[in-house]
Amino acid sequence: MAVDHFARAMDDNEGYPMRLTVDGQSFDIDADPEMPLLWALRDLIGKTGPKFGCGIAACGACTVHVDGQPVRSCSLPVGHATGAITTIEGIGTPGKLHPVQQAWLEEQVAQCGYCQAGQIMSAVALLDEVADPTDADIDNAMGGNLCRCGTYPKIRAAIKKAAVLKTARL
Amino acid sequence: MTKLLIILTSVATLLSAALFATAQESQTPAPMAVDTAKGLPEWDKIYAVFSHPRCADCHVADDRPRWSGAHYGGTRVHAFNIQRGADGSGFGNPGLRCTTCHFASNSSALHGPPGAENWHLAPTEMVWFGKSSAEICAQIKDRNRNGDRSLEDVALHVRDDKLVAWGWAPGADREPAPGSAEATYQAIENWMAAGAPCPLTQ
Repeated sequence: MAVDHFARAMDDNEGYPMRLTVDGQSFDIDADPEMPLLWALRDLIGKTGPKFGCGIAACGACTVHVDGQPVRSCSLPVGHATGAITTIEGIGTPGKLHPVQQAWLEEQVAQCGYCQAGQIMSAVALLDEVADPTDADIDNAMGGNLCRCGTYPKIRAAIKKAAVLKTARL
Repeated sequence: MTKLLIILTSVATLLSAALFATAQESQTPAPMAVDTAKGLPEWDKIYAVFSHPRCADCHVADDRPRWSGAHYGGTRVHAFNIQRGADGSGFGNPGLRCTTCHFASNSSALHGPPGAENWHLAPTEMVWFGKSSAEICAQIKDRNRNGDRSLEDVALHVRDDKLVAWGWAPGADREPAPGSAEATYQAIENWMAAGAPCPLTQ
């Protein structure tokens, strides 16, 4: 059963030792439960894959999964992150990339690359629910992930390729 | 003699049935008198809440929540291609649910996302955005368009639901809905007691 660190720590109005499960590993941290999850991931745990963009859930660069659902970690209080957290660093390995990562390479999506960790995490979440997404499915899922370089056509192509790669692995 | 007995028995049966029916009718509550002088001012309080942007922005006829209200400086659709969801649930689309950004509480960051438990759009039949007072009033009394609720259920929903409660505590510089959950609950109770009248004009 998940522990609501936020509620417990707010009772005594101070930081609270908590255990996070990130990319399959447990991490014990001591943090203000109102600290954004992104801060905890990057500064306390050392997971620098998720990026800080806007800080108000308006760009998507910080996207990670909690229990398989994408969340903007810059805005989710760490005290409310009570499920299994997955970052861009936890979806594949150099020797076995996630199909979305593989497709990203094959389609050469990234330009500056800053938003890509968030883009990929949203794409992974989409493909977990929709195996063969249409253009509309992709637009509907990816609308909250902004790319200042304008790589959207390549992102769409990569998601379609990833769908094929993922299905082929099954 | 036998015929007379049969006739008398039949008459007695009919009489007792008629008396029973009369007794039953006397127990049926009389139709509630509608007191528009008392009821309409209460409805106006309710309408002020239901039509407020904190409530109406997510009670839309189409699939896109709105950003409107004093601090927005105009009405626009929610950015980021946010939609009701292909499944019609109101919780967003795969890969971009409402809860991707809206968590259990308001963000403390300037312009950060508001939050409350169970963040989602109201069902399409519960349209308030852009509707007149008369239209919303008729809808709220229609079980096909109010979530199959009695008016008492509507009042309790307004008083007790945590997402509804967010409308009075929207955080940051967002203008809250007028009054309070308790005051709106009481207004609904008073409106019901007055026969739940609706304004005639659109």
